[in-house]
Amino acid sequence: MTADPNAATQAFPPPPHRRDSPARYLVPALVAAAVAVGLGVYGKVHDPAGTAFNLAGFSSTGAVKSWLATTAFFFALVQVVSAFMVYGKLPGPSWSATLHRWSGRIAFLVAVPVAVHCLYAFGYQTYSTRVMWHSVLGCLFFGAFSAKMLLLRSERLPGWLLPLVGGLVFTGLTLLWLTSALWFFRTFGVST
Amino acid sequence: MKRPGPLLTLLAGLVLGLFMLTLNVTSGTKTASSSYSEASQSPSSSPSPKKSAPASPTPTVAPSPTPSKSAVPNASYAGRTDDDTASVAVTIRDGKAVAYFCDGRYKEAWLRGPVADDGTMKLTAPNGAVLDGKLQQGKKIRGTVKDEGRKYAFTADKAVKPSGLWRATAKVRGAKIDGGWIVLPNGRQTGIVTRDGKVSAAPRIDPETGAVTVDGQQLTAQPVTP
Repeated sequence: MTADPNAATQAFPPPPHRRDSPARYLVPALVAAAVAVGLGVYGKVHDPAGTAFNLAGFSSTGAVKSWLATTAFFFALVQVVSAFMVYGKLPGPSWSATLHRWSGRIAFLVAVPVAVHCLYAFGYQTYSTRVMWHSVLGCLFFGAFSAKMLLLRSERLPGWLLPLVGGLVFTGLTLLWLTSALWFFRTFGVST
Repeated sequence: MKRPGPLLTLLAGLVLGLFMLTLNVTSGTKTASSSYSEASQSPSSSPSPKKSAPASPTPTVAPSPTPSKSAVPNASYAGRTDDDTASVAVTIRDGKAVAYFCDGRYKEAWLRGPVADDGTMKLTAPNGAVLDGKLQQGKKIRGTVKDEGRKYAFTADKAVKPSGLWRATAKVRGAKIDGGWIVLPNGRQTGIVTRDGKVSAAPRIDPETGAVTVDGQQLTAQPVTP
């Protein structure tokens, strides 16, 4: 008979993190997979329109997208810095959490029109290495972002999880920018 | 205890995405056709042929006995063969036409010839292919392409920029590259690249800029005119 001296404490409600169902991780993971696969399937199945509407003041939709993507990338850099501030790794103002939230929202909302245009006009393509990576990462990025947003709603996550997923989102956006906007600027010049 | 912020962010993105998609689907053709009218009007040298173009098939409007420049409106047409095995695109400028017939795998022909005042055309290619077509109410071309002993009936609808006929030629590492593309109004592309006489399917071009990467080399395809 192994009488555990600590047994009595188990009569108390156990700490919440022990009771957490795997749904906390499963739901974001499944949603992320669904978003990524859904975007990819839409891009593959949908007949690319080849074109979409343009914004006034820009020479081409390529320029519009490149500048929107660059804006998103800029706010993504703000994201990284403000995340370090929130975690106390960098000295930051008291409103660094707000900064992190809103720079993230702006980056995401600016990236959405770019993705819509990509999916509507071009779809999922694999005819060159750059295009293949861009297609794959574009789908993964929005999946990872969805997971990040849903994970934020859970409390008492393992401390490494949010930085890891956030890092993935940032890496994805960086690679997306490198394979599209940077390519555009290098190919066609930095134009509006 | 649940924070609604992240969920609202996601929903806002979803709504924005759907909104943009709706805007694309509903206004995509409108902007395309308006940009087309700009593009089609600028090449015509004087405003008068443009105005008289729709009425000009009647000989009274075209006074000169030679094929008038205004007889057939400048435009591009693109479509598929009836058996859906190949694409056909025709570009008409000043009474002359250039056409491209391409199955996207190994069969292609560049055809050239004049367009008669009544909109009929007989275009020929160096390889012996022949295109017989007739412009119907300035809206589409119905006709046939005879290539390598087979006859393909086709319908090519009026194509607005960026759909139509594209070509890129270059030398990449000593090899002569010749690429031809037909971009259909629905965005579908059919193209063939010939490398030193060897034919293969072409990579997609960016229909907005004509940019295409062939064998790692960045090329720019140009719209083809007769």
